[in-house]
Amino acid sequence: MNTDLIPALDAAGLPGPPWLFHGLLVFTFFLHLIFMNLTLGGTLMAFVANLRGGGRPADADSVFARRLMGVNTYAISLAITTGVAPLLFVQVLYQQYFYSGTILLGWIWFNLLVLLMIGYYAAYLHKRFRGPWLGVSAVAFFAIAMTHVAVHLIHVQPEKWAQFDLGALSVLRDPTYWPRLFHFVLAAVTFAALVAAWWAVRRARAGDDVALNTTIARSAWRWAIWATVLQMVDGFILLGVLPKPVLLGVMRGGLPVLGPLTVSILFGIGLLMMLARVSNPVEKPGLVSGTLAALTLTIAVMTVTRHQVRVLYLEPATSQFQATVVPQWGNFTLFAVLLAVGLGTVFWMVRRVLTSPAEGDEAA
Amino acid sequence: MDYPIWNVAMGGGVLMAWVAITHVIVSHFAIGGGLIIVITETLAVRRSDPELRELARRSSLVLILVSTVFGAISGVGIWVVAGLISPGAIAALIHSYVWGWAIEWVFFVLEIVAALVYYTTWDTISKSAHLMVGWLYFIGAYLSLVIINGIVTFMLTPGEWLETHAFWDGFFNPTYWPSLVLRTGICILMAVAFLLWPAFKAGADRRPDVVRYLGWWFLAGVTVSYAGYRWWEAALPDTVTALFLGEAPTLAGLAATRSFTLWSLTVALAVSVLALLLAPKLARGLTAVVLMAAAFGFFGGYERLREGTRKPFLIHSHLFSNGLLVSQIDEINRTGIALHSGWVAAGDPGLENLGARIFAAQCSSCHTLDGYQSIRDALPTVADMELVAADDPPGTGEVHYRKQCSACHRDIEYQEMAGVLPTLEEIRDDPEIIRELNLGMITTTVIQLREMGVEITAFDRETTFDMRGLDRPSMPPFVGTEEEAEALAAYLASLDSAATGGER
Ligand code: HEC
Ligand code: HEC
Repeated sequence: MNTDLIPALDAAGLPGPPWLFHGLLVFTFFLHLIFMNLTLGGTLMAFVANLRGGGRPADADSVFARRLMGVNTYAISLAITTGVAPLLFVQVLYQQYFYSGTILLGWIWFNLLVLLMIGYYAAYLHKRFRGPWLGVSAVAFFAIAMTHVAVHLIHVQPEKWAQFDLGALSVLRDPTYWPRLFHFVLAAVTFAALVAAWWAVRRARAGDDVALNTTIARSAWRWAIWATVLQMVDGFILLGVLPKPVLLGVMRGGLPVLGPLTVSILFGIGLLMMLARVSNPVEKPGLVSGTLAALTLTIAVMTVTRHQVRVLYLEPATSQFQATVVPQWGNFTLFAVLLAVGLGTVFWMVRRVLTSPAEGDEAA
Repeated sequence: MDYPIWNVAMGGGVLMAWVAITHVIVSHFAIGGGLIIVITETLAVRRSDPELRELARRSSLVLILVSTVFGAISGVGIWVVAGLISPGAIAALIHSYVWGWAIEWVFFVLEIVAALVYYTTWDTISKSAHLMVGWLYFIGAYLSLVIINGIVTFMLTPGEWLETHAFWDGFFNPTYWPSLVLRTGICILMAVAFLLWPAFKAGADRRPDVVRYLGWWFLAGVTVSYAGYRWWEAALPDTVTALFLGEAPTLAGLAATRSFTLWSLTVALAVSVLALLLAPKLARGLTAVVLMAAAFGFFGGYERLREGTRKPFLIHSHLFSNGLLVSQIDEINRTGIALHSGWVAAGDPGLENLGARIFAAQCSSCHTLDGYQSIRDALPTVADMELVAADDPPGTGEVHYRKQCSACHRDIEYQEMAGVLPTLEEIRDDPEIIRELNLGMITTTVIQLREMGVEITAFDRETTFDMRGLDRPSMPPFVGTEEEAEALAAYLASLDSAATGGER
């Protein structure tokens, strides 16, 4: 392939072996997806539920919407926080492609920041003033998803950069663009719905507002079912429209590539079966938790598949460059230790907070 | 320089400045605010003082709304913009310091989770647990400064790293500690500037106390900042301080920035002592606004000084901000920029079009066409020549000469130049001569920029460069073959609209 437009590899070399960065990229991206799903899926569902609730605050739909947006206060912050790490690691591994992709998008990529700001503060305004703000927030987050899919498809196809240079929006005509976008959006909705269902079931089992929580659990469950049905269709379309060399790469990739893909497809089908078996989630709390766990696992495996597809897309380009490795093992170790200590501290803090309830004068 | 180019009319540098200014203000506030809020809460618990508790509580809403989101987004924003305007340079920086950033991220996670928990657990958990969360927030936030300070100071004073290329040599560089002290002071200043607003909401009888309490904080911030600033100046290499200190500073603009910086701090000191400590009853919204302006002035001035003295480098003496490594100059001069960058090579090979792509690759990270650091403005045009030659009304010729010509003709007085210039009539009769003359001037300038690169390659690469001796100490050299220099000059000359019949 013609690699002329691809910038040179950085002369300083990789500060660790490539597998380490691949691993960190995939792992931190998975963390990001969890909170991104809650934010995007939650806001989209909240928007619809809020409309259905029609401004009656006691209506189950309104409560459902309020709950989703309550979670969002944290989910948005954490989505941003966890998004920083994969942004860092993708720059280490794929700087030549990633920066080029963002530059070809230019203002569209920059506007990601503006959209994030709008999405967050609109969610806040919605909580205080109602009005149209929830819709604004939902549109902003959806547009962010669109931007990410765009930059992804541009950065993995250097052979088309000259064409994107003439107009980056032509990426919307890439056959994989819309199926890919909806693949993420549907997954986000399913995940947020299952989390909401899980929570409602817990509260109903604890005897809290049983009728209301049962209604919410059911409605969230229906969201999850329909999103998964559409997801199955969309997933196969996406697989079908992948560029030939990439698809062939998947097929010939052997166990390391076909394994995760097959597992995640089977998980998807399994999920649908689990979802379909339940009509009243409150009666089957074990199955609800199991379904949520299975979905989380599916997302983890799919994150691996997604990364492998990127590797295959870029293979013709990356094979022309030989990265030197100048490992900084000491610094990596320091990072790993601090990560363990840091996460340990976070867990310890949350535990301490959960075990120190207080009221009145005793409280902070 | 081998990446595609993002064309921003306002100039990538200006956009970066906006994002970076927002980010540094908010992020320093987030750190200092954390410290003051948690100490305030500790005092409130010890003294059972509800007014102090309310101050801490009200401030924590600002902290969460502003810092966990605005601070985080603007921080990501710095990455986003840097990747858009200087991808090659940022890639180089990341490859050396990725583990530093990865560690910073760990502290960032702690900071954000603690902030969210702190804010939501007022009234619901025990006092001691809540204080613990507050302290963890501050520790996470401050440690992220401890890390990022190493990378930011490395860029200006890489010190031993130039010789060893060892991570920690660059990290604990000559300005690391002074800058950490200075930024700690700034964190407190930023925090008090914001916290005055929630403090004004205190009950009328306790308000002066609360204001005076913040006044002591502000005074501490001023003292620490001033000490840190002086230490920072003292730790800079002489070749760098000479740019803005002494009898004849190389960059007069930076010298002015320095005195602005110190005056701002003086104003901050005076106002805080008068209005917060001596007469806290008089403190009003206006006081807070003045203090905010003065504190931002000091902080902004310092940041500008730091960026200004680092120019034209991203990593001093190693990497220019347009992505050119000092070690690449020789090779690119020999083989050409087109061989180095597919984006320059691709497209119409005509001289002017090639020149336009070279300009985009090498110059556009600092120069816009007509906006910030406009290149059209910096170059001589036929219209400029006419104005200088006409000198009508008398005196304007000299003014125009100072403005349009003297940057490149420092040693020639106006009178002398007027002697060799053709008259207005001669220019009007035959503007072609002037176009030729301008093209000649521009070509020579580009060649000079190329020669500057040759001079730079002769520097000792293991020490901090002394840029003062160079003709244009704030600019990277031009790199490429002589033909490419000509192409760039042809393009630059074509920017004079009179020369192309107003096409461009
Ligand atoms: C790192 C930023 C930077 C880059 C990149 C840069 N310049 Fe400049 N340029 C400046 C600054 C700053 C000035 C103002 C000079 C001063 O005040 O000393 C300037 C001034 C100029 C001037 C006015 C003449 C003068 O000496 O003041 C010309 C002409 C010029 N630049 C051309 C170029 C060309 C051609 C390129 C690309 C090869 C380029 N510059 C790249 C920063 C840059
Ligand atoms: C970007 C830098 C630059 C600017 C701005 C500039 N000049 Fe020049 N000028 C030069 C250089 C370099 C030369 C030497 C040309 C050569 O040697 O071929 C030169 C040469 C000249 C000469 C010829 C002198 C001689 O001895 O041959 C004249 C006249 C002149 N400039 C006038 C002006 C006037 C008038 C202006 C303002 C309208 C101006 N220049 C602005 C760079 C500049």
